[in-house]
Amino acid sequence: MTAALSTRALVAGYERDLPIVRGVDLDVKQGELVVVLGPNGAGKSTFVKAIAGLVPIHSGATALGSLDITAVPAHQKIRHGLAFVPQTENIFGTMSINDNLLLAANILPREKRARRIAELYAMFPDLAARPSLRAGQLSGGQRQMLAVARALIVEPSVLILDEPSAGLSPKIVADVFARLKEINANGVTIVLVEQNVKAALAIADRAVILVEGRLRHEGPAATLADDPIVAELYLGARREPKTVTP
Amino acid sequence: MNPQALMDGLITGSMIGLGAIGVTLTYSILRFANFAHGEFIAWGAYIALAVSSALGYLSGGLLAPIGPFSFGWSLPIAAVVAVALTGGLALLVDALLFGRLRAQRSTVIIMVMASFGAALTLRSLLEFIFTSKPAYYTKALQIALPLGGGLRATPDQMLSLGVAAVLVVAVHLLLTRTAIGRSMRAVSENQQLSGVVGIDVRKVVRIVWLLGAGLACMAGIMAGLLVQIRPHMGLDLLLPLFAAAILGGIGSVPGAMLAGLIVGLAEAFAVQIVGAEWRAAIAFVILVLVLLVRPQGLFGRPE
Repeated sequence: MTAALSTRALVAGYERDLPIVRGVDLDVKQGELVVVLGPNGAGKSTFVKAIAGLVPIHSGATALGSLDITAVPAHQKIRHGLAFVPQTENIFGTMSINDNLLLAANILPREKRARRIAELYAMFPDLAARPSLRAGQLSGGQRQMLAVARALIVEPSVLILDEPSAGLSPKIVADVFARLKEINANGVTIVLVEQNVKAALAIADRAVILVEGRLRHEGPAATLADDPIVAELYLGARREPKTVTP
Repeated sequence: MNPQALMDGLITGSMIGLGAIGVTLTYSILRFANFAHGEFIAWGAYIALAVSSALGYLSGGLLAPIGPFSFGWSLPIAAVVAVALTGGLALLVDALLFGRLRAQRSTVIIMVMASFGAALTLRSLLEFIFTSKPAYYTKALQIALPLGGGLRATPDQMLSLGVAAVLVVAVHLLLTRTAIGRSMRAVSENQQLSGVVGIDVRKVVRIVWLLGAGLACMAGIMAGLLVQIRPHMGLDLLLPLFAAAILGGIGSVPGAMLAGLIVGLAEAFAVQIVGAEWRAAIAFVILVLVLLVRPQGLFGRPE
């Protein structure tokens, strides 16, 4: 079965002679929720930005299903069903909530736009309450919801999110992650970059760990959550010292 | 003080406002001050002159004045052609110069310096082709009609004001009510996110050049019709254009137009109060004051 999203020997970075992602192979199955973990500076964000077309790919390939999207420009990827939610500045703060959604709906057929926006408002009632509010006035959690709603407008097959929990309180993180799990349950394949390891592993099917731009470890999320070696080596956790009994 | 200064200020201000809209749009989307923008005003005026003259040569009837105005149908037809050609010129300059620099991720200062170079080249080309001798669309004399309150205006002047008002409303509606307007606002705010939501940023940039140059062309035709056509007419308007764009708030179309009118009125009243030799200094004074007191302008938001 073809993977929903795949990368082959992906090398990417802002400068050709300074690759940040160094040959990553990844297959994400249809309907899977995969979390990309790793220490700071591991290249997680660069990896997903490269897939989204925002960071130059120097070699290797990315594919959406059977379609090679390596050279597809960023603005075309959404038309092929790949939606991306950046970590910061992921909404248009000077525009209204409704204009943010209209902007994203613009690539849909004209007759479908209003219906799809209504569906998104039904899914995110907080946004529906004040559609003319300037998006910059939303709280952190509401901004993330708007960014996710904006990405979902086109009914993507794959949704990539770069640290959606950044800067949010634990309660809001729980809300955002619960919503992502719902979206995933509706058939959207999700790739999630996260620093919030515990919360991410709790909703993920599988986790992959990047270290220094290379994929070092992967496995079922439930297994990795309890793996002390992984935690120590790649996630910055400290092993409890062994108790010495006389 | 002569109340006619009000009318003179409004007329000059409407030309400044139209030009300033182009400056503000290019600045907000391409993130650099394009000092070549004034040259699109001059090129627009000269292209319209060339086309209008050619049409008049082909069919003398097109030169016969329309109703109370001083010009014939050759000028409105030439204006349409000139708007398209000036837009094409802006795209050409972008393809040859600014686009290449953007692709190399050049810094703002390099873009600004390049715009100075482009301005010099475009102006020199105009002088080479048309000479520096002033030219006119028509030499017909018009009688200014009394409007009440001591104000007088010629039919050409009233038409220019009306055209400017219609263009500003049209651009404002384009930006606020249409999909392409939303895309332009989005690119102005965040180019990377715009790409992520499916906006073709390069297409938006092309539209901004076309729109800005088209409005500059109209300002040039108005200036040519009401004053005269000279290769340096764009350079002379450059400082008022930037004063208006900054006073209005970068990115704000109504702001640019309103600020254009303010600068035009300030210049006209300055002539009355302190003398014509200070006219050019007024735009500079306004520019400095705005930068010191309210750098975001009248309608801009603080960074």
